[in-house]
This record gives sequence, structure tokens and C-alpha cells, in this order.
Amino acid sequence: MEQYVAKSPSSESSKMSSDPAAPDLQPRSALTPDDRKELLKQLYLARYFDVRLIKEKKRGRLRGTLYSSHNQEAIIVGSLFGLKGTDWISPIHRDMPAFFMKDMRAGWRNPDRIGMSVQEVCAQVWGKATSPGRARDNWSHIGSRAKRIICSTSMLAGTIPAAAGVVYADRLDGGDAVCLTFNGEGSTAQGVFHEAVNFAAVRKLPVVTIIENNQWAYGTPVRDSLPEGLESFAGRAAGYGIPGYIADGQDVLDVYDKVMTAVNRARSGEGSSIVECISFRAYGHGDHDDDRAARYRREFYGDRWEEVIAEERERDPIAVMKRHLVGLGEMTAEEAKLMPAEGKSAMEVNDLDFPEDVVKYLNEGVEFAVASPPPPAEEGSMWVFKEGGR
Amino acid sequence: MSAAPAPLVDGAKKNYLLALREAIFEEMESNPNMLCLGEDIGILGGAFGVTDGLQLRYGRDRVIDMPISEAAIVGVGCGMALNGKTVMAEMQFIDFISCGFDQIVNMTATFHYRTAGDVNINMVIRGPAGGYGGGALYHSQMNEAWFCHSPGLKVVCPSTPKDAKGLMKSALRDGNPVIFYEIKELYRRRDLEEFVPEGEDALIPLGKARIAREGESITIVTYGQNVHHCLEAAKKLDAEGFSAEVIDLRSLVPLDEETILESLKKTSRLLVVNEAPMTCGFAGEVLARMSQNAFELLDAPPARITRMDTPVPWVKPLELHVLPSVDDILQAALRICRY
Ligand SMILES: Cc1ncc(C[n+]2csc(CCOP(=O)(O)OP(=O)(O)O)c2C)c(N)n1
Ligand SMILES: [Mg+2]
Repeated sequence: MEQYVAKSPSSESSKMSSDPAAPDLQPRSALTPDDRKELLKQLYLARYFDVRLIKEKKRGRLRGTLYSSHNQEAIIVGSLFGLKGTDWISPIHRDMPAFFMKDMRAGWRNPDRIGMSVQEVCAQVWGKATSPGRARDNWSHIGSRAKRIICSTSMLAGTIPAAAGVVYADRLDGGDAVCLTFNGEGSTAQGVFHEAVNFAAVRKLPVVTIIENNQWAYGTPVRDSLPEGLESFAGRAAGYGIPGYIADGQDVLDVYDKVMTAVNRARSGEGSSIVECISFRAYGHGDHDDDRAARYRREFYGDRWEEVIAEERERDPIAVMKRHLVGLGEMTAEEAKLMPAEGKSAMEVNDLDFPEDVVKYLNEGVEFAVASPPPPAEEGSMWVFKEGGR
Repeated sequence: MSAAPAPLVDGAKKNYLLALREAIFEEMESNPNMLCLGEDIGILGGAFGVTDGLQLRYGRDRVIDMPISEAAIVGVGCGMALNGKTVMAEMQFIDFISCGFDQIVNMTATFHYRTAGDVNINMVIRGPAGGYGGGALYHSQMNEAWFCHSPGLKVVCPSTPKDAKGLMKSALRDGNPVIFYEIKELYRRRDLEEFVPEGEDALIPLGKARIAREGESITIVTYGQNVHHCLEAAKKLDAEGFSAEVIDLRSLVPLDEETILESLKKTSRLLVVNEAPMTCGFAGEVLARMSQNAFELLDAPPARITRMDTPVPWVKPLELHVLPSVDDILQAALRICRY
């Protein structure tokens, strides 16, 4: 069984290109300069969405908990960029932008794209009737069969079995869909994670299980969820007889490479894989936890804390992508200094740190949400059962 | 290990959360055989802070940050308990208890029965529960009926700081697995703050209801957050010329039928209120038992007010639409009183 597991994202061995046994190793080689520009733009968009929501929440305009994807945007953007519209996804609490970034290459405002619009996603966050789930459940708990997004519950890892079921059904119908499931590293401890990954492996189903390793599961560090001697969560893939890839979760191109390798493999009938993206949670678990997180993480890292923070800012996915573009000669060093959103907290940036079209796009979503009506109270007791049979 | 910030009894008024915390600290202090397990209970001190400072004081061996697996939390706790330990197992939200369901209802609940009394599981499985807070489908549940329906488990749900502390301490000494519903909307309610007794004086027995308010016209039986809704409704009933007796069950299993019966002898009218869904909910159990055992005492058909048979939706108007309100309780009580 091929194994592409490395110690850490920065070590040379994680570059799959160095492994001669690996198949199509660098899907990124097919990307054009425009694609790369778009990737950077999408990183800005995901960041701006997060920043904007944090600010709206602080102003008391939103209800519910905000699980920031700040600093983890490359995982969302890089994973979704190569998907077909007909592919399925199941995002988790930390992947809010994924709902409107699915199939975004078909055009941000393309009404036919198979993903949710930013209007719909904002309407959900604002708790409005125009949300795809009519704001019945909170935040990331939305989905749509037509958009090919599995609606999750709060139960961590709970959507992986459904992911396997969805693509199994799709195969019977002659489809070639792949399903990406997103999971935190902490959630891999759930029994259902194992049960579903095993089934997908046994039946060679086109499920790609993405592990967002942001080093923390709420207040629990990886130390308490990964056995000593196992260097990565992806390393467990060997036990399922499937490949486990490790991506540098700060580098959108590396995420794209590893996820697309897994996706191509899945689509061609070779079965499922695990892709672990190494990242770092920028803030608290949710916005309610920011203050405590600052305390418990400072205590946990001790003297290393300042270093950890500095490194994280240095490895902001926007900064990493800019360095790629400069290295490729697709951006000048001067241009890279423009729109300096990277390495800054939500409260340290303003709209001028983002591309104008990104701000405009999101404003359309927010305006739509604000203008939308809330669902009427009686809807609380509707849709418990489907009427009228199959 | 560094010294912990003074966690123990300080005699100040306590809210519901601090009363629980104090109970756990006291039991940990007096029972070196006690262990605590849960997600984020150590370094973080628990999602709501019930175990704040616990790991600092008792160390990582006794206060265990568990991987995210409710099945492992409960199942491992069961193993520790079967080998002589007292275990406090935290569910970060009681909604997630479903992920440990088999380990609870099949493994833990039946150990004593299966071993003909050889093994007993001294474990409290506790977690924040209840709606009215905008927590949506998976952070609002009252799923106590699942466990009341599983023989071998005791089920407890306090509504005041004193009861929270007293029942927690008793549950940790009960010798049986106890599912302990903490009402998260009550955790920090200022108007409920009260002085809670220390040590042995704090103990409150399982299986004993509390008369939250005395009255003559109708008996309202409830528990958890609805106790406070019923007390509010009772005030409004006063204005209508009816005095309600409100019984806070505190324990569902075992159920204190005696206290309800005594009350019915006085009032002859019964309303039962719970925020869980209606069908097969605990309110139905109380109604059934009283219909069977107190039929002759009743002067009016008994009734229940519950959540509709729906999940708990997120957005406020929807949530309030499906959950029992003070007005729902008031109207039902009036109908019964005027029957
Ligand atoms: C079954 C279950 N148990 C507990 C929780 C509470 N909870 C929500 S998020 C979280 C931490 C998740 O950590 P991780 O999987 O690493 O994802 P991250 O939040 O770091 O992205 C926990 C314990 C839950 N949602 N579901
Ligand atoms: Mg994590």
C-alpha cells in the first residue's frame, strides 16, 4: 500500500513529488496564472467573510457561536478549488465559507453553479427565512441535495457515514461524484469516524476524509488525542488500507495538490483516502472562548507562546500564497504589500485591506440577509414528517 | 503540581454552576478514589467552567481530558467504576450523550443486574441540558426519557443551586449510574443565587421531590427549567383566585409518587409540565401513574404541557413556538381549575 505520510508539513518528505511511486503527484502543475490569482482572491474572500462576521457579532447583530476559520482558509479554498459542481461536500462548524465557495470556479455570481450563494449563507447566519434551512438549525447546519452539500448535525464526524452513502447511491445511478468530508483532528476520536472510514475503504468508495489539524480541539491539545509514536492522524490511514496524505494547511497549493490527488484517485475508482491538513487555530474555539483560549494556550505553550504566534502570523495562508506568486514572477514584491490583511486579527483589519470585489460580493450577501424576513414562528412545528409518501 | 486557586467552600452565595462545582470539589477532596473524565474538563476547565481549577488541584491522573468520544468517556468510566472507582463523566452537552448510548444503556445500566449484584457502577454522567437558550437542535435537548426507559439508571434534574449541589453529592455516592441533567440556562441565573450548605449538610437524597410552592387549588408537577416557569404561572394563577402547589420532582428515577399523592389529596387537580417532547415523555409517565393510583382523588381530567413533538429549532420565535411557555401553563392550569 502506498503511503505518503510525513512527519511535519515543512519536512521535505511531505512533498509527494519526491515519492516516485506516487501517481499524478502535482495537480497544481495544471493551474494557470489566472487560477492562482483566483486562489489568492478566494483566500481573501474566506478571510473577509470571517472578519466581517466577527465584527457583526461584536456589534451584537448575530446570534449563536462563531467558529472562526481564520488562518485555516487554505484548507477550505484548496480543497474545493478542483472539485466538480456535481461533487458532494460535508463541511463542519469551522468551514462556514465552504458553503458558498463550492463550485465557485463556475462563476461567483453564476446562478447555475452547484453551491450556495453568499446571500443564502448570510441569510442562514442572520437567522432568516431565506436561508436554505430557513434558519431551523444554526450556522453551519445547512445543506441541500441539489447543491450537493450534506447537512450536518453537531455530532462530530457524524456526516462521514452519510458521505459514504451518498456516493454509493451516486455510483449506482452512474455518477462519478466524489464526496469531501471535513473534520477536525479532535473529531477523529469518534467511533463513527472509524466505522465510516472503514466502510468507505472496504467498498473503495470515493470519499475523501479531510482532517483539519489545527492543533486544538476546543481546550484539548493534540497531545491528548494522538498517541505518542503516531506522528500524524493521516498515519492511521495505513490501518484502513488507504492512503493518508499530509498537506501543509497554510499553503493552498499544497492542499490543492494533496486533495486533488485523493479526489482523482477516488474518481477513478481506486477508493477513499485521508488528507490531513496541518494548520493552527488562530483564536478561541468559538468567539465565546477567545479570552479563555488566550489564557490556556499561553499556559500550555509557556515560553514558546510568542514564537507560536509569530510563526502563525508568518504562515498566514494569504502571506504564503503571495510568496508563491512573487516566486513565480506573477506578482511583484511591491504588489504583495498591497491589501495587507495577512497576519492580522479581525479587529486589526478594515475593508481597505481586502480586494474591492471581495468586499462588494460579501456586502451583497449581508444586505440580502438583513433585508430578509425571519421565518414565521409556526414553522417550528413544520417538516417533522414528509407528507404524501415517497 | 502548583497550588490551585482556592476552590473549596467559601460560604458565599452560589449560583447553580458554582454549587455544582463545589459539590464536585468536595467529593474529589473527600474521596481519593474519585476520578473525572470528559472533553476539555482539565486544561480548559469545562465548556461552562464547572470543573474550573479541578485539574490544577487534583492532577492529570484524576482529572482526565478525554479524546472526543462519548462512548469512550462512558465506557472507560464504567470500567473504572467496575474496578472500584467513583466516576464523574461529563458530556459537554447532554445532547451528545447519544454518541455513548450503547455504553450507557447496555453496558453500564445493566452491570449490577448481569453480575447478580457482584459489580456496581458508581458513576455520574452529567451535562448541560435544556432549551430556551437559542441552542438549536443539538444544544437544547432534554433526552431524559431515553434513560428513564432504561432500567438500571437513575435520573436526576435539579432546578436550584442547593439541589444541584446536594443531589450531585448524593449521586456521586449512590452506588448506581446516575444521569444528571444540569440546566444550562440556570447555571448563571442571578435571581437563584443562594447560600448552599457545606459537606454532609449539603446532601439531598435521590428520589425525594421538593415542594417548591405550597397551594390548595391544583398540583403542578415539573422539574428542571420548567419549575421556574411553573412558579411564574402560579403567581399569575393567584391573581385569578387559584393557588397552585408546584412540585419539583428533582429525581425522575426513582420517582417520589408519595409527595405527588399527598398533594393531590389536598388539590384534587393535576397538571404535569416538561420541556421534552410529548410522546413517551416523562410527563406522560407521571400522568399514567396518577391516573392509576389517584383516580379517585381527581376532580378534573389531569393534563400535561410539553414541547410539541418536534426538535428544538434555532431561531427564537420558532423555539418559543414549540416549547412550553408560562402562558401555556397558566391556561392549562386555569382550564383544570375551572373544570
Ligand atoms: C459528539 C460531539 N461531542 C462533543 C462535541 C462538542 N464539541 C464541538 S466542537 C469540539 C471540538 C472539535 O475539535 P476538532 O475536531 O479538532 O475541530 P476544531 O473545532 O478544532 O476545528 C467539541 C468537543 C460535539 N459537537 N459533538
Ligand atoms: Mg481541531
